[in-house]
Formats: sequence, structure tokens, C-alpha cells
Amino acid sequence: MTLSELSPLSLPLLVLGAALIVLLADIALPKNGGRHLGLFMAAAFAAIFGASFFLDSSGRVFDGVWVGGDFTLFFDRVFLLAGTLACLGSLDHVARHMPGRQGEYYLLLAASVLGMMLLPGARDLILLVVCFELMGMPLYLLAGWAKTDDTRGRGKNAAEAALKFYLVGAVSSVFLLLGLALVVGMSGTTSIEALGHMRHSALFDLGLLTLFGGMGFKIGVVPFHMWVPDTYEGAPTPFVAFLSVAPKAAGFAALTVVFLAGFHVPSGSFMPLMLLLAATTMIVGNLFALRQESAKRLLAYSGITQVGYMLLAFATGTRLGTAMLLFYLLGYTVTNIGAFMVIEATASGDQGEDRVSDFDGLYARSPALALAMLLFLLSLAGIPFVVGFWAKLYVFIAAWEAGHGVLVFLGAVLAVVALFYYMRIARAMYMNEPKDTSPIKTPFGVKLAIAICLAGVVGMGAYPAPFLEQAMLASRSLFG
Amino acid sequence: MSLPIELALVALFTPAAMAVILALVPPLRRTGRPAAWLSVLAASISLGASVWLFADQLGHPSRDLLESVRWLPHAGAAMANVGLRIDGISAGMTLVVTLVAFCVQVFSLDYMRSEPAADLGRYFTYHSFFIFSMLLLVLAPNLLQLFFGWELVGLTSYLLIGFYFKKPSAAKAAVKAFWVTKLADTGLLLALVVLYTHTGGFEWTSHPGAEVATIITLLLFVAVMGKSAQFPLHVWLPDAMEGPTPVSALLHAATMVAAGVYLIVRTNPLFAQAEFTREVMVWIGSFTAVFAAVIACVQTDIKKVLAYSTCSQLGYMVAALGAGSVMGGYFHLTTHAFFKALLFLAAGSVIHAVHSNEMSDMGGLWKRMKLTTIVFVIGSVSLAGIPGLAGFFSKDLILEGMLESGHTVPWLMLLGAAFLTAFYMGRVLFTAFFGELSEKAKHAHEGGWEMQLPLVLLAIPALGAGYFASRFAGMWHLEYELHLNLEAGAASGLAILGFAVAYVMYGRGAPVATPAILRPIAKLAASGVLDRFYEGLYRVLGLKLAGAVGFFDRYVVDGLMNLSGYLALTAGQKLRRLQSGNVRDYVFVVAFAIFALSAFGILR
Repeated sequence: MTLSELSPLSLPLLVLGAALIVLLADIALPKNGGRHLGLFMAAAFAAIFGASFFLDSSGRVFDGVWVGGDFTLFFDRVFLLAGTLACLGSLDHVARHMPGRQGEYYLLLAASVLGMMLLPGARDLILLVVCFELMGMPLYLLAGWAKTDDTRGRGKNAAEAALKFYLVGAVSSVFLLLGLALVVGMSGTTSIEALGHMRHSALFDLGLLTLFGGMGFKIGVVPFHMWVPDTYEGAPTPFVAFLSVAPKAAGFAALTVVFLAGFHVPSGSFMPLMLLLAATTMIVGNLFALRQESAKRLLAYSGITQVGYMLLAFATGTRLGTAMLLFYLLGYTVTNIGAFMVIEATASGDQGEDRVSDFDGLYARSPALALAMLLFLLSLAGIPFVVGFWAKLYVFIAAWEAGHGVLVFLGAVLAVVALFYYMRIARAMYMNEPKDTSPIKTPFGVKLAIAICLAGVVGMGAYPAPFLEQAMLASRSLFG
Repeated sequence: MSLPIELALVALFTPAAMAVILALVPPLRRTGRPAAWLSVLAASISLGASVWLFADQLGHPSRDLLESVRWLPHAGAAMANVGLRIDGISAGMTLVVTLVAFCVQVFSLDYMRSEPAADLGRYFTYHSFFIFSMLLLVLAPNLLQLFFGWELVGLTSYLLIGFYFKKPSAAKAAVKAFWVTKLADTGLLLALVVLYTHTGGFEWTSHPGAEVATIITLLLFVAVMGKSAQFPLHVWLPDAMEGPTPVSALLHAATMVAAGVYLIVRTNPLFAQAEFTREVMVWIGSFTAVFAAVIACVQTDIKKVLAYSTCSQLGYMVAALGAGSVMGGYFHLTTHAFFKALLFLAAGSVIHAVHSNEMSDMGGLWKRMKLTTIVFVIGSVSLAGIPGLAGFFSKDLILEGMLESGHTVPWLMLLGAAFLTAFYMGRVLFTAFFGELSEKAKHAHEGGWEMQLPLVLLAIPALGAGYFASRFAGMWHLEYELHLNLEAGAASGLAILGFAVAYVMYGRGAPVATPAILRPIAKLAASGVLDRFYEGLYRVLGLKLAGAVGFFDRYVVDGLMNLSGYLALTAGQKLRRLQSGNVRDYVFVVAFAIFALSAFGILR
């Protein structure tokens, strides 16, 4: 095998290279030099993102075990974008709370991104599971990264968050493997592409469902969602920004590869189940979000609701539906990371409480942050002029075309209910008096991350065409 | 690019640019009056362009211009365009919007004078933004762009109703308006989805087939009922009167609430294919017209009377469109915009003078405020449909359309509403403007020129717009003819009768014997019960017919809204307990869920 045969893998390999540099530099650099590592990693992610427009990453590697194309490219860009934003947003947080362990943070982040980037191209169930774990393990560690931070019980929360995340994750992995064992046992092959022609039997179907359950954990679909709010609450906010989008995107990438490209399942037998889960996820997420007092928990439940809409797009099983799922994921990535970064900025006074009431009078303290948050919230709610509107509209169109009118109706009504809790934050920002009138000093990295997200939310809202086209291309490359 | 397109762009983007400047430059906004004047300047430029545009359109009545650029691609083809559509409908509406907006802004210069500078700047920023949003809706070439404008005017409405957001009732009213209309807007969103999936575009000229057209138009009509305050989604409009009075004139009387009616006019090609929807519209419209008129008769707050009157008149328009009288509905929209904005501004002038909304605090204002009284009389008489004034022509057209399409019962309902309209306007006139000078009215005086000029400007079309009916119809390739017959005479007769009854009951000092037919109402009025008629029916006569109306309004309509909110909240509370935070439970749930999924998959 020559090096040129690996060219479809160039983007993940570049990330691997950057991660190795961070690993070595962390040893070489003095203890407090970690901040530079963060800057380096952010720059590296951004540079690789840029490189993705020039490098040709389509092709089959290892006899078709890994297949690159527009589909992987789309997801790689989403992950790289999320990685860049997470590094930028983390710079100050990480340096302030754990100055001695900064290199570790960025290394883990890079490793997780690497796992995600390999996932959409995997066409072998074994590789798929390995990628899942490569993505997941660093996330568990990062969730508990603040475990030795002793400010206001932060460490205890972090340890608890990480443990819950890990235990539930471990159980999910068990099911993932069980499903794998059943599927492979019944079919005799681990190749996803070959599985499409298998005859369905009871055990085979059982394996598929178990597989779905294992993946459902990563995307946080109800009833595998319970770790989400607890973990979000205890983990470092900039990391939560990353956690709330990238693993979800990766989970949907895996689901799409296995169920749509592989088995063509949702268009067939499991459709009612997927739709049921989509509806449940939308409803449960909304109901829980209504009464949350913590902004991070509120966004955690709102994120669960969003997953419901994505699942609706996924359940169409059509090429259009998949394209809309990808577009939704992209819009959700910039929106949700932005929203969490604003939480990071407002709670940066080290209180680390992130109550909804922390947003009281934000407009008076920092009009720019308030406006940014308002736009993110509007995008999450799906109001015109921001990207979230297109995302919802397109998902609805795809779902209606696939004949799921009832769910479209439900989704549209629930979107109005969701406004209730998004508006709570908006009202607090604009209508309430601030408890603390000091202006907010936002660290540069967070500011930059918010600005990038804002540009994405507004830009894609005003002119979504090129992004939609990319999503369509990606979807087409998967369905052939 | 042709001249009309350029003019429309000027009309659209001058206020938009002003809103952006004021929003992004807080020091300028906080100067208050200079910011206000800048906003008025933008509005006047916009008005100038609109007048020119309209005059140009009158010269080429049948012109239908479409200028658009590709916005969203879909599978290689254009999914949606963004652009401008200029024809008789949009040119006319553009003029109405900019004229009323201009008048309202000038009026506000004086009316809002005592606001703190920063708030004044905020107020005018919203107003500039409103003109842009409304024109975006009006000039939209397709349903998607219209939806964008639709949402933006909803947002502006929320901001302006809640302008005094420190006042709890205002904040509550803003929130109520927001939720009711927002919930209704879901219909429009779904209509977009259905329209696109069946026709591959957002054009209202498409032919998706009768069945699909019915679904789409029903969904659209849900949104219309929210925006244009049709029963049973009208509940937000009376509360919206918490906003500043000029806002009520512009948004909640003349333009924004009429957006729903405008939507039907625009998408008429779709509605024309959906007979069932139009039948629904006829009945809901007629019912709203009567229902709201009855309630208007018993209100004591002058703004509430006008608010219910707006509901009622919007009912006329909706019914007319349902009966297929597009010209009638649209023409009434136009004349209504003028006389209702005039009435609201006149009411604002009065409120400004006596510092109260209650009609009992007014009384005898004729002696102190001649101009306001004159224009209020013009507005009332026009609204009541007294022959010769603008309202007469449009109302006549509607009633004629109802009869022509064979809707006799709705026609009778609208006739009844015409009588009630004259009655409640007469009641306002006689109690607030004539009779003894009240205590609070003793020191009343006219506002500054900023308040007087708009009153005069609006009184002109409220008087004479009717005479343009035929030219107006020409832009629609329609013939307009005034038919003087018994049916047309009936409405005018009833209107005059309404005023007469009001005069008998309120026009004299001491109570005198009234004709036997009117005695029950007079009795109620004399004992002071009439003013509490509505309230009393809620509580005491809940089972009687009229009471049932009120009961339904307060307990069922309001109740359903409250109940759904309550259920959602308590369900959230209960479910929250499930989330115990115990990781063993979580693992158990995961395992259980996977078994359940498997069972579902296997056993199915």
C-alpha cells in the first residue's frame, strides 16, 4: 500500500498529526504554556477545515472498509468547525480553572474529533464501533475534566457528571456490541454494504434494534437522554457546547450510514418505531425544558427536542430527508455552540451557576451578547431570518413529502411551545433589571467563537442556498 | 430596473435603513426627538415614493410587474425567489400603509412628547421597522416572502403592545397577543409546507387541485384568524389596546390586523379553488362581525369600543372574501384603514386631553375640541356607512356581494351588525363629545399641530375615498357600479336608525320615554346595566344565548388557552420528578428501553 492510497483519509490524518504535535509539545513546553496549545489546536482545526476545500478526499480505502466522499466531507467540516469553536471558547476557561492540565484537554478534544471524522466513512461494523469508542472515551474524560477544581463544589459536580455519562455510555456500548454480535452472527459479514442484501430474520432485526439503541445514546434520543442534562450541568461549558452538537452529528452520521446506506431500514420496517421515537423525543424534551431553572439544563432539554426534529428527517429515509437532516445538523451546530458560548460569557464571573436568572438585564450589561443570544434562541425556535427557520421548514417539507403529515403538524405546534422557554431567557435579558450591573468582560476566544456562530446563523439564514446544495450533494453521494 | 420597482425599493428600504441606523447607533436613538424626526423623514420619503408608485399604477391600471432574484435553489431548480410584485393590489396597499404610518408617526411626535428620550427613540425605531416589515409582506411575490414579513410585523406588534413593559397589564397583553398570533401562524407555516410539497414552489397562482387547495387555504385561514382577530382567536386584540394609542391606530386597526385580509386577497387564486374554506369564511366572518359589534355596544373604554369595532369590520372583510367579493373585501380594507386610523388618532387626541380612556370622563368635548370632534364625526359616519362617505361604498359592495352569492342569512347578520355599528359609534359620539362638559374635560384642549395635521390628512380619504371606487376597480379589471336599490337602502336605513337610537338614548340629558321596541335596551342603559351587559352575561346569564357567546369567549376560548398552558406546565413539573439524578435509574431505563424496542420490533 502506498501513501497515496491513503489520500481519502488525509483530513483525519491531519487531525491526528495535530494531536500528536499537541501531545509532544505538552511534554516539552513549561507547565503554564498550555494556552498556546489551545491556540495551536484551534488554528489547526481551522486550517484543516480550510484544507478540506482543496484536498480530494473521495475514494475507497482498505478495500472499501472506509469510503470517502461528499458525505464524509460534509460531516468532517461540521466536526472541524465544532472543534475550532470549542478550542476558541475553551482557551480562557481552561487556562483559568486548570492551568496545569491544558494540553490534556486539547489532546482529548482532538482525539474525539478524530473518531468522529472517521465515523461517516466507516463501511465496516467493527470499524464503526472502534470509531464510536474513539469518539466517546475522550468525551467521558473531558466531562470530568474539572474533577480536581475546588471552586464551589465544581469538582464534585464534574466527577458526578462524568461518572453518569460514562456508566450510561458503557451500558450503551454493551448494547451496541450485542447488536453487532447478533447482526454479524446472523449475516456472517461485517461489511455494511453487504448487509443491505441480507434476508431479515427475527434475530437480525433484534440486532438492528439493539444497535439503534446503542447509537441512540449518543444522539440523546428519548429514552436514552437522561444523562444529557446532568452531564451538561457538571461539565465545563465550552466543552458542553461541543458535546451538545458534535457527538449528535456523529451519531446521526452512523445511523444514516448503517440504516439508510446499509439496510435501507426506516423506509421499510422500522419506520413506525422511528416516528414514535421522534414524536416522543420532541414532546418530552419540550415538557422538561419548560420548568428548568438552569440555563444549561434548559438548553440540554431544548437540544433533546431538536433531536426529535432530526430524527423526523432521518425517519423519512429519503434522499431529500437525509439532506435536510444534514442541513439541520449544520444549522444546529452553529446555533447551539453559540448559545452555550454566551452562557459561558455571562457566567464567566466564576460563579458558575448558570441560572436563567443570570440573564437578567443582560441587555443593559452587554447589548451585543444579548443580541447574539436572542438570535441563537430565535434560530433554535425556528423563526425566519435565521438558519433555524430553514432547518425546520426543510425538515417539514421532507417529512410531508414522505407522508408524515401528523408529525409535521406536531412538530410545528411544539415549535410554538418551545418558544415559551426560549422567550423566558429573552425576556430576562431585555425586560428584567440586572442584579449585577457590572459590564461583562468576554474573553477574546469566546468572543470570536460567538462571532463565528453569529455569522453562521445570520448568514445561513439570509442565504442558505450554498449550504443546502452541499447537504444535497452529501446526501446524493451516500444514496448513489 | 423599471421606475415602479425603483420606487417600491425606496419605499421599502428607506424606513429599513433608518431602523437599522437607529438600532445600531444607540447614542443617536437615545437623543429622542432628533431620532423621531429622522424616522418621520424616512416615513415621508417612503410615502412620497408610494404616492408616485400609486399614481404611476393608476396610469397603467392593468400592469403587473414582477422583479425577483433567485434565492433558494432546490435540486437544480429555483425553490423560491425574493423580490417585488407590483400590481393594483400591492400598489394600493403600499399607499395605505405608508400614508397611515406617516400620519401616525407625525401624530406621535406630540402624543409621545412626555416620554423619556431613550424610550421615544426606541418607539420610533420600532415604527420605522414596522413600515419595512409591512411593505415586505405587501410587496411579496410569493407566500414564503410574505411569511417573512408576516412574522416580522408580529414581532413589531409584540414590541409595541409591550412598549410600556414595566406596566404589568401591558406586558401581559403583549405576551397574550404574541402567543395567540404565533400559534395561529403555525397554520401559515404548514400551508407553506403543503403548498411546496404539492406544487414545488411557493406561488399562490398554482393549481394544486381542489382537495389540496382546501387544505392549504384552511391552514392559511387559521393564520388569518389569528392575525385579523376573527372569532375565536380575537381575544388578543382588545388587550392589545394597552399599547400607545397611535400604535393601536397603525397596527391594530389600519394595517397589521388587515394583513390577514390582505393575505386572502393575495392568495385569492388558491381560495377561489376551495369552496369549503370560503363557506367557512363567510360564516366566521359574519359571526365575528355581529359578535364583536354586540360587545362594542357595552364597552366603556373608548379604545375598547374601537378595538371590537375593528374585529367586527374585519369580519365584514373576511365574509366578503368568502362570498367571492374580492373587490368588496379589499376596498373595505382600504377605506377602513383610513377611517379607523382616523378614529383611533382622534380618540388618542381625546385621551391626551383628558388623561383617561373612560368615556364617562369625556363628555361635552365639542366645546373644547372642535377639530377632533369634527373628524371623529366624519370617521364615525364613514364607519357606520352613511351614504356619501367612504365606508358606505365599501360596505355596500360587501352586502351586495353577499346577496349575489346567495348568502341570505350572513347578509342579514351583516345588516344587523351595520345597525349595531351605527349604534355604538353614536353612543361614543353622544356621550364623549356632546352633552354636559365633564369634570376632566374642562381643561381639555387640542394637541399641537403635529396631532392636528394627521387628523385632517386622514379625514380626507375617510370622506372621499369612495368616489375612487371605479378607478380602483379598474386596476382589477373590474367594473364598479353603484346600485341604488332596496337592499342597498336597507343598510343605510339601518345605519341612520342606529344613530337615531343612540341619540334617543344618549343624546339628551334627562331620560325620556322611548319606543316600546327599544325599551329593554333603554331600561338596561338607564339602570346602568347596559355597560355591564357583557360582564353580567358572563356571570349571571351564562345559559342564555347572548350569555353563551360571552361564556364561550371567556371560559371556553380563554380557558382552553389557559388550560393548555397549565397542563403543559404541570406536566413538566410532574415529569421532572422522574429525573431523579440517580444513575442506576438511568442505566435501568436504557436497558429497559432497549428491551422494549426489541419487543416492539419483534412482536410487531
